[in-house]
Amino acid sequence: MGTAMATAKDEDFKKEVMRLAGDEVKTCIQCGTCSASCPTAHLMNPSIRKLVKLCLEGRQKEALDNETLWLCTSCLLCTVRCPRGIRPKMVVSALKELADREKIASPGKNYDHLFSKQIADYGRISELPLISEFLLTYPQGSVQSMKLGLELLPRGKITLNREQVKRKDEVRRIMEELGK
Amino acid sequence: MKLAYYPGCVSLSTGKEMDRSTRAVFSKLGIELEELEDWNCCGATHVSNEMVATGLAARNMSQTELDIVTSCSICYSNLRAAAIKLEDFGIRAKVNAVLEKEYKGARIRHALDVVLEVLAENEDSVLLPLKELKVAPYYGCLLSRPVGVYSPEYPVVLEKLIRILQADAVDFRLKTFCCGGPIFMPKEEAANETAYRILKDAKKAGAEVIITVCPLCQLMLDTKQRSLEQQHGEEIGIPVLYVTQLVGIALGLGSDELGMEMNAVSPMPMMERIYERMAGE
Repeated sequence: MGTAMATAKDEDFKKEVMRLAGDEVKTCIQCGTCSASCPTAHLMNPSIRKLVKLCLEGRQKEALDNETLWLCTSCLLCTVRCPRGIRPKMVVSALKELADREKIASPGKNYDHLFSKQIADYGRISELPLISEFLLTYPQGSVQSMKLGLELLPRGKITLNREQVKRKDEVRRIMEELGK
Repeated sequence: MKLAYYPGCVSLSTGKEMDRSTRAVFSKLGIELEELEDWNCCGATHVSNEMVATGLAARNMSQTELDIVTSCSICYSNLRAAAIKLEDFGIRAKVNAVLEKEYKGARIRHALDVVLEVLAENEDSVLLPLKELKVAPYYGCLLSRPVGVYSPEYPVVLEKLIRILQADAVDFRLKTFCCGGPIFMPKEEAANETAYRILKDAKKAGAEVIITVCPLCQLMLDTKQRSLEQQHGEEIGIPVLYVTQLVGIALGLGSDELGMEMNAVSPMPMMERIYERMAGE
């Protein structure tokens, strides 16, 4: 019974990934073109190829709780090269969204989460508040940010302005209604 | 020619020189830009839900009936991908249900594409030919992926532009290799590694300058160059310009009009060489 229930849950997870990333994901032949094309493949575990396999096998925990998702640079080489017309980057995006729903912790997830929240609240990104909020959750990023700040500040490229759109409610509607 | 202009969020902060040089070059070429009404963030690479990303792009695209131009390859890639997605009338109806203005279709162009089109017809607007200047054409990812107008594997449009400016494009193996920019905050080391490889490759190819078509590539290769030099204990010292900055130089625009004081690696020694070569003729 336990196995049967787990299987149903695994199947739901697989379906949700396909709903978000496209039904064609199930045609994957595990050729590894995606991994071979990926600029950060050597840092990933599981690889992007393996990640697609985990989804097809419904292995939710392994598919969501890993750093591979946050090492994807969105370069889209996997996507333009896949011989099956699958978008492996969209599989990563689907898993990022599900990891956010499941509240699985990762600095990468926090960054994306804060980024989306700024859009929902203001419609535009203001870099300084975004980075400041992120560093509260990830102080290890401070040294890099200080170095960048030292380059950007004297060139007038750090501004204190909060950028925002006029029709914020419309943007919020997009974020909420279309994200269902 | 009149186009709607989508500056994108970065144009107001770390990409100010991209915005300034785009406006200056378009004005010089006689192209009128009308800033998109109440534009919003495209979601960059950080909005995971495809329908949300499509909706954000659609809101921007529904603000005008003109062709839309942007200098940022991330915005460009997102808008183009959304325009294709919105060809599906089911998706279009769903998106239009939450928009205030109806999305009815859009044509999205990258600033590079427009500049090349105009320059190819008016080569005599190149007042300052960039003779002998060795330029590394850096494409990055999103100008031609997932659905640009150029080859996603081996684009040559920047080489064409470089030829019109009478400069020389160097043979640059990593021209479409990712700069790592989208993950530079949470995954600093991984991002730095890819940026460093690109800079080294451009240097090995003999480049005097790298040109970019994306503000995040610019940040990784230019703003971070000094800290990458420190990390590796070696000098790289290659200026990195937006494509519109390099075009602007050749059109005879001044450094201030092109925001050249905002580049981290000073392009001034390169500028001096350009003027010396010009004077030497």
